[in-house]
Amino acid sequence: MNRPLSAIAGGVTGIAVMSLLLLFLEVETRSNLAIFESVARFAGMPGNVTFGFILFVLAGVFAWPLAFMALERYIPGGPDPATRGMVLAVALWVVFVLTGRGGLSGGLLAIYVIFTLLAHLCYGFLLGAVYGRLTSEGPLEPERYDPSDVSQ
Amino acid sequence: MFTEIPGLLVVTWALLGLAIYAGYRQNWQLRSVAADGGYLSGLGFESEKPTGLFRWLTTVDHKDIGVLYIVFATGAALWGGTDAMMIRTELFTAGTDVWSPDTYNALFTAHGFTMLFFFATPAFTGLANYFIPILVGADDMAFPRINAIAFWLLPPSLLLVRGGLVTEVLGKMLATVGVRWELLFSLKPPTTGWTLYTPHSALLANPQVDLVLLGLHLSGLATVMAAINIIVTIFTERGEQITWANLDIFSWTLLTTSGIILFAFPVLGSSLLMLVADRNFGTTFFAVEGGGPILWQHLFWFFGHPEVYILVLPAFGLVSLILPKFAGRKLFGFKFIVYSTLAIGVLSFGVWAHHMFATGMDPRLRASFMAVSLAIAIPSAVKTFNWMATLWGGNVRWAAPQIFCVGGIMTFIVGGVTGVFLASIPVDLVLHDTYYVVGHFHFIVMGVITFAAFAASYYWFPLLTGRMFNRRLGRIHGYLSIVGVFVTFMPLILIGYGGLPRRFASYPAAFEPLQQISSFGAVIIGVGVVIWLTNLVQSYRLGPIVTDADVWNLRESGQFSREWQWFETQLEERTKFRR
Ligand code: HEM
Ligand SMILES: [Cu+2]
Repeated sequence: MNRPLSAIAGGVTGIAVMSLLLLFLEVETRSNLAIFESVARFAGMPGNVTFGFILFVLAGVFAWPLAFMALERYIPGGPDPATRGMVLAVALWVVFVLTGRGGLSGGLLAIYVIFTLLAHLCYGFLLGAVYGRLTSEGPLEPERYDPSDVSQ
Repeated sequence: MFTEIPGLLVVTWALLGLAIYAGYRQNWQLRSVAADGGYLSGLGFESEKPTGLFRWLTTVDHKDIGVLYIVFATGAALWGGTDAMMIRTELFTAGTDVWSPDTYNALFTAHGFTMLFFFATPAFTGLANYFIPILVGADDMAFPRINAIAFWLLPPSLLLVRGGLVTEVLGKMLATVGVRWELLFSLKPPTTGWTLYTPHSALLANPQVDLVLLGLHLSGLATVMAAINIIVTIFTERGEQITWANLDIFSWTLLTTSGIILFAFPVLGSSLLMLVADRNFGTTFFAVEGGGPILWQHLFWFFGHPEVYILVLPAFGLVSLILPKFAGRKLFGFKFIVYSTLAIGVLSFGVWAHHMFATGMDPRLRASFMAVSLAIAIPSAVKTFNWMATLWGGNVRWAAPQIFCVGGIMTFIVGGVTGVFLASIPVDLVLHDTYYVVGHFHFIVMGVITFAAFAASYYWFPLLTGRMFNRRLGRIHGYLSIVGVFVTFMPLILIGYGGLPRRFASYPAAFEPLQQISSFGAVIIGVGVVIWLTNLVQSYRLGPIVTDADVWNLRESGQFSREWQWFETQLEERTKFRR
């Protein structure tokens, strides 16, 4: 499949799963995290959850996957695109935590930091894995496992 | 300061800049695609099974169903683990300052249900499904379709038990498109504790409690179906060479477990329905003026205590199976392990009232339950000594599965010995319903039970996926988990000695340091789990391909057992198809 489309497909998968994870986190924490408020703050729309979320989704579907495609070979963690995707996602997460955390502190902040990181990692993984799967032209000759090699 | 700048803009602009630069460097040429390793299995082989989602929805193959169970159990474990982390966050400080008391109660309730009924039991049922037919030389389970039904009843029962959350997620999704359906917000997470003690559970107005009861009932049906299937398979589908004398230890423990399930779960099922009736139809089974709350406790624990052996016996079986492979010796005292398993199976039905020592029951009755409870420690100790004797003088290899087996024995000793103290009436009266109990049973549920599941996940990973995992990460996960369990649950034992009752969101500030150590330990366990998941997922995609079935060098100690022999023939067939 053509590369930009593959990247977007990766972005769609990633964002779909990530939004669901965030939604579960929101409900599981009985809305104490106000996670979608954070998303809105992150998107520069404090107070406007709907628009903030739409911007967030658009960025996750188009902007970042396309940037990922262009930047792929410079991102550490290769050659596996999924690992590279996770590296990119960690960078995104840092900004997300800094700009989105609002007034959270203490235990809530800890939960927020940990679980948004996990959600971002899922996003990056899926972005890279789907992209890699759709663009790869067939398997490399895979490495063989050698049981006598104890260095592993 | 950061909060004023929209992060989205920062990131998009930064990425755009970088992308333009990268494009400039690459001349915007869409380079031809190189194979980059982001693909699945290099083991292309033919199969008559349908492909894709359809295969997984329609399968009646015991191996596929086993995999479904394992995946389901993993998902449930991660969910229950999230609850655990949220519990530990609240307990980090003495006040109720993270969640509300109600949310806290809902958290430990959901945590208990999810871990016991939807993680531990399905994980072992999954392994049983995959391996028992192979180990006993059967083509499949005795009733393949019932097998599929038993699995497919689990997702709906999990949905029922944790339904409030799911409906609320749905409700919020609809709300974003402007539809607000109040019904979806009416189910609140239940706060009964996994023991569902009456009268509290009978009087709670929250309709979600009814769904929980029905969900548990459904999961009970699923568990019983799976158990019958295992029993019949082992009795009637054994291959010619497999006799009772050379039946492997994993099948023996699963057979015993299934027997216990057959007698314990129907009791739970009926009691649940009685509680449903009490809540909805005005019956008085557990009402004070009827059968009384104590009746519930008797019925519940008549199921509940055997249930803990339902969880732990498969773990014992896995330790007994895997440990010798990495000790280079046969399991010491095989027969005694089998007999002790059967003994536990019988005795487990005679100890339930040790959960009720503090209810003011007749002291003579109490004493006899204490005696049986102490007696059941003996077969458990027999196993422990047999495992140690197996290691003794063996050639121990510290591969990830072995680290988990030995770590499991360590935690089981602590969990077991603290349990013997609880079985003694005077001690129990002091420690009942304190954190000591939580510490005790977590050394077993998070220790040996979860450790055995991890050990099996590493030990059989090459067989299940045809690839090898990263062994160093596996070992790191092993050591982290052992340290994590001791750091998390030792403090709880001490807190219990201090007399702190469990199931409260707030506590006196004097307990804060120990609680914080415990939360810190939980983070260690959590880091280990993330390493485990990453390792297995990435190895499934990219790990080195296994071409020699003897991944663990079992031939040299004569332990290349049946499942690996089966794997060897599979590999041969696959290579035939490969050009
Ligand atoms: C990192 C791992 C875990 C942590 C940190 C953890 C933490 C806790 C804590 C603090 C409680 C007590 C709540 C209270 O009584 O106030 C609890 C309860 C419980 N846990 Fe865990 N847990 C973990 C893993 C597991 C596993 C693997 C299982 C089962 C296989 C399990 C089964 C239970 C059960 C049955 C209860 C009792 C629930 C109740 O009181 O109704 N836990 N857990
Ligand atoms: Cu018991």
